[in-house]
Amino acid sequence: MSSEQPLVLELRGITKRFPGVVANDGIDFDLRHGEVHALLGENGAGKSTLMNVLYGLYHPDEGEIRINGDSVRMSSPQEAIARGIGMVHQHFMLIPVMTVAENIVLASEPRHAGVLLDYAAARDRVRELATSFDFAIDPDAKIHDITVGQQQRVEILKALYRHADILILDEPTAVLTPQEAGELFGILRSLQEGGMSIIFITHKLNEVLDIADRITVLRRGKVVGTLPTEGATEEGLARLMVGREVLLTVEKEARAPGDPLLQVEGLHVRDDRGLEKVRDVSLDVRAGEIVAIAGVDGNGQTELIDALSGLRRIDAGRVLLAGKDVTRGTARKHFEEGLGHIPEDRQRRGLVLDFSIAENIALHDFRHPPASRLGWLFPRRLVDRGRRLIKEFDVRGGGPRTHAGALSGGNQQKVILAREIDRDPRVLIAAQPTRGLDVGAIEFVHRRLVEERDEGRAVLLVSLELEEVLSLADRILVIYEGEIVGEFPPTATEEELGIAMTGGGHQEAA
Amino acid sequence: MSRFGERMPQGWKAVAWAGVAVGVLAALVVLPPIGFRNPVAPTIIGLIALTIGAGSFIRGERRVGAYAMTAGVAGFAIGYLATRSSVDKLDAVVIWGALFASTIRFATPLLFAALGGLFSERSGVVNIGLEGMMLMGSFFSIWGADVTGSWTLGVLIGLASGAVMGLIHAFFSITLRSDQIVGGTAINFLALGITSYLYVRIYGTQGTPSEGLSTIPDISLNFLYDIPPDRLGGFLGDALAGQDLFVWVGVALVFAVWIAVFKTPAGLRLRSVGEYPRAADTVGINVFLTRYAAVILSGILASAGGVYLALGFINSFEPNQTAGRGFIALAALIFGNWRPFGAAVACLLFGFSSALAKSLQEYSLSVSTLFEALPYVLTIIAVAGVIGRSTPPASIGKPYVKQ
Amino acid sequence: MTTVNQQTPTPEEEEAQGALARYLHLQKAEGLLAPLITALLAFLIGGAVVFATTKSVPDVLQTYRAIFEGAGLDWFLPWNTCQDPCVPAIKLEQTLLVWVPLVLTGLAVAFAFRCGLFNIGGQGQYLAGAIASVIIAAELPLHVDLSPVPLVLLCMVAAMAAGAGLAAIAGFLKATVGAHEVITTIMLNWIVIWVGTYLFGFEGPLQNDQAKEIPVSNNIADGAKITQVGVWGHPDLQGLPWISLGVAFVALVIYSLLLNRTTLGYEVRAVGFNPEAARYGGISVARSYVLAMGIAGAFAGTAGALDVLGWKFRLDTTDFSSTIGFIGIAVALLGRNTALGVGLAALLFAALQTGTSTRNLDPEIFPPELATPLTIIIQGLIVLFVGADIVVLLLLRRLRRGRRAGAAA
Repeated sequence: MSSEQPLVLELRGITKRFPGVVANDGIDFDLRHGEVHALLGENGAGKSTLMNVLYGLYHPDEGEIRINGDSVRMSSPQEAIARGIGMVHQHFMLIPVMTVAENIVLASEPRHAGVLLDYAAARDRVRELATSFDFAIDPDAKIHDITVGQQQRVEILKALYRHADILILDEPTAVLTPQEAGELFGILRSLQEGGMSIIFITHKLNEVLDIADRITVLRRGKVVGTLPTEGATEEGLARLMVGREVLLTVEKEARAPGDPLLQVEGLHVRDDRGLEKVRDVSLDVRAGEIVAIAGVDGNGQTELIDALSGLRRIDAGRVLLAGKDVTRGTARKHFEEGLGHIPEDRQRRGLVLDFSIAENIALHDFRHPPASRLGWLFPRRLVDRGRRLIKEFDVRGGGPRTHAGALSGGNQQKVILAREIDRDPRVLIAAQPTRGLDVGAIEFVHRRLVEERDEGRAVLLVSLELEEVLSLADRILVIYEGEIVGEFPPTATEEELGIAMTGGGHQEAA
Repeated sequence: MSRFGERMPQGWKAVAWAGVAVGVLAALVVLPPIGFRNPVAPTIIGLIALTIGAGSFIRGERRVGAYAMTAGVAGFAIGYLATRSSVDKLDAVVIWGALFASTIRFATPLLFAALGGLFSERSGVVNIGLEGMMLMGSFFSIWGADVTGSWTLGVLIGLASGAVMGLIHAFFSITLRSDQIVGGTAINFLALGITSYLYVRIYGTQGTPSEGLSTIPDISLNFLYDIPPDRLGGFLGDALAGQDLFVWVGVALVFAVWIAVFKTPAGLRLRSVGEYPRAADTVGINVFLTRYAAVILSGILASAGGVYLALGFINSFEPNQTAGRGFIALAALIFGNWRPFGAAVACLLFGFSSALAKSLQEYSLSVSTLFEALPYVLTIIAVAGVIGRSTPPASIGKPYVKQ
Repeated sequence: MTTVNQQTPTPEEEEAQGALARYLHLQKAEGLLAPLITALLAFLIGGAVVFATTKSVPDVLQTYRAIFEGAGLDWFLPWNTCQDPCVPAIKLEQTLLVWVPLVLTGLAVAFAFRCGLFNIGGQGQYLAGAIASVIIAAELPLHVDLSPVPLVLLCMVAAMAAGAGLAAIAGFLKATVGAHEVITTIMLNWIVIWVGTYLFGFEGPLQNDQAKEIPVSNNIADGAKITQVGVWGHPDLQGLPWISLGVAFVALVIYSLLLNRTTLGYEVRAVGFNPEAARYGGISVARSYVLAMGIAGAFAGTAGALDVLGWKFRLDTTDFSSTIGFIGIAVALLGRNTALGVGLAALLFAALQTGTSTRNLDPEIFPPELATPLTIIIQGLIVLFVGADIVVLLLLRRLRRGRRAGAAA
């Protein structure tokens, strides 16, 4: 951990563009031998893109990569592996039905007489590697039988098996429990002692201060600072990460909220893999108020919203909509009891892209008059309603018969808004409502949400954008690892929220 | 516990398999050579099997439990029907040695095609076109043997035709990323059209030559007849002594495929491509090449089934000779859970029902027809019985897009 | 197991995507251009096959013309004068007779496709309908006296129910245990084929009471034959059971109405386009699967009934090796799952079928025994090209090249 160690890796001026967005903009980054260098930034800051460039999965538009002084062209992961770079992806590249040993040796298998797979040799080598770095793993266990923490170790072993000197870990603790994270850190330290140089991608401030020797902060594709951990503070880092942006303020008068229209009590929800993602969450949203849930992506917001709209099973707890218990209800029931839901993935969940605007608007109501009667649909009425809403919500890019896939993102979102709001819901859940939208559309959405609140609806906003949260909300709840860890007034600072969002103020296992 | 001990099914799975055996017993008890003709026997034994199956099913072993229940019902039915027919008739139908020989003959084309399907599907490409590939092998092997006068060249030409079909399927499915099921259906159409067209053009109305056609030789194992005791020797002799070369190739192939797919690095890579192509890609495996190789190989193997059917079994060709066998092979593959030994057992099972159907013609033409539907019923049960578990290769049917 | 993190699309990106989506949508659901080009391509290659046989280009053209005339399509040409008997008209009747079941089996596949399901079971559903109608029309009158109209109606209902029930099994299995409908429908096809062969084969329970030496069913009651009904339409085309044609047209209309004018159709289409959004909207995906398959099966079953009541009048075991259900797949694919498309595609395939049959094709120009396999080859090529959406691919490539050039500028 001295600053005199040689550079094993240098990235100079890396630029990577995707259609319409510059993911990496002239990034300089270097790695010293035996250090842990953290790459810190919010979602969309460009961290993963940079590492994919390094690993050969993307080709940079500009810039240079040097390994131990030699300039290289990373044309593929194979080349990166050959040059000693190992990557532990956020979504593991492991084959569930195969064993640990099989996954590790895949494509570099030890052979018996040249033709047969020497499984025994594979098993032995895996054991050898694992014990030399002091962690226990069963080579014969199948991936789908072991825990996520152990799966991650398999990924690390994959890199070690291929003689990596540089290890990249992409948000490794996102899927771990606190104990597992602690164990991981122990492994990393032991690897470091063995001469491994490590790049650690994260958005969690406390971890960074714990494990890293140096920290580079990315924001919107650019490097905003590279500093040693010594002397860095969570507040300072939060400020760098989040930055001072123009706050999109919305005209908002204070209102006196009414009765609670959405009541959540002690909710426990699991994700598709069986991990508990919502841990004992309780909250209220009253009529005439906007409650925002702020948090970094992946802390349980998605599962919470799914549960509240009837799309995901609730393991324990209750949900009440305007006093009615809808805990066991289907999505249809929720909609009929007065829920409106603007989903976070408008193309996958919110719209049937091949349907026309009018048909999409009818998605919840097509079974009832006036859209239909006794099963017979009246397309003209759908079109009329579509035309009316297109005008009211200023949807551009087509008429009621244009199919939704032809609209831009902002206009698609307006269609969804129109659909949900026109149904006069009591409770409106808006999940990432301005994701991917341009400024004009964002302003429109914000205005409508405030209007709904003024009309006496209960609005639950889930957002990853702190400016949005601060400007819209009457109350702010911060979610971290499935729990509500704090409630803040709209006068809170971004740093305060940032710290709570990243687990700050918590002492994680050392 | 030894490796073998580890592989024995545990718990309810073992119980369920026992139930299957009991169900089979219900029928065997009535049939010769045991010939116990009281209908009470198959009823009770069948019920026991049914109960065992239901019990296992309820306790979570759904797949094999379903099999046991089916075996119980089927065993009871067969046993009961058998008690209703005369002993002579039964003896005429159930000549075990000949029945077994027939089973093997019917099963072998299925086996080749199923093993071919195994390679393709294990790499992630659905192959509904096994039927068409088989048909091509059938026709081209006969034509090849006819034209060149040698059965070896006939075989090679037949296999080549299968490889060509495999290449077409691979190109459309992998490179053009078209719908694999539609592509397979198209292959079947094309194969039928091409073989019928060429058949009419070359052989017209008189059919393929019956004399002088060089066919795949039989392997004579007459020493089997001399094995004591007399009954066993007789059975083994009837069953195995006169089988074709390809039959033995098929047997060897099952082992070879098992080793290749599960015990070699190439097999590991093949399976990784079928399960999670992205992961395979990131460790340097060429997904496209692997899939191409697998699909072409499946074409070769499927056509081998047709080659045996025409050049070894029937010794002639007529249009649409395969008559759906390719689909039965696909069913066998699924039934056998995409594993070579499982598929082989399924092929034997289906082969047995075909053989039984044939010998039942002695008994009743119509009942034998009904038996032909059995493989398909069994497959539906197999596919439906696999509840919750996703046993096919995880990424099957999804074209791979490199980013 | 997701792919590498993608950035969320910006407004400009989405605009570009929108234009592409618009284009693709046009090609997918409404374009007539792509099917036309596909068919043309297939005929070209078919022509190459003919060329390989006849070794002369004029013969290729002659062959296609002969097929055209064999189908009776020259009856539509204004310069065609008809003597008595009007040969083209007779051939056209045959074409239309084949058109009817092809439309229905095509609709059976198309309707399921609209719900995102691949219904390969059209063959079995067709046969189930045929069997049901033979049972009602041939066996029932032996026990119960029924006048023609209720008898025919009962037949149709039974046939639809049989087809629907069979298909619904596959839909149910998919909805509950996720069993792939391709496998289950193929299996069900073969089960029906063998059950049917059993029923009407030698010593089968429903074999003909008089003619015990042929594996055939009883003849249907005269009252059930729908050729006896009325005389209308063009004087030349009197050999046709007009009811069948009518049913086919009505089926096309019902198909279109169901999909576009009912809440059921809305649900089916939503599930077919985006099951996740449908679920989010409160639609039961499982229910849609079962209903879609059931309706599809009903279409195919009707085809079976019409053939039996219209001209077959009985079933024999060779009927069970027909391929009408499979051609229905090609019809639906070529017709892009729309009513108009299916109608036209069915006409094309029907024309191909009758145009190349032994009776109709002039053997001087092209041997008819070769013509039937040729048809199958052409059908296979059409299915192959449609499956690859080859036309869309070629056009897409050109579009992408254009965009890339624009973006780099």
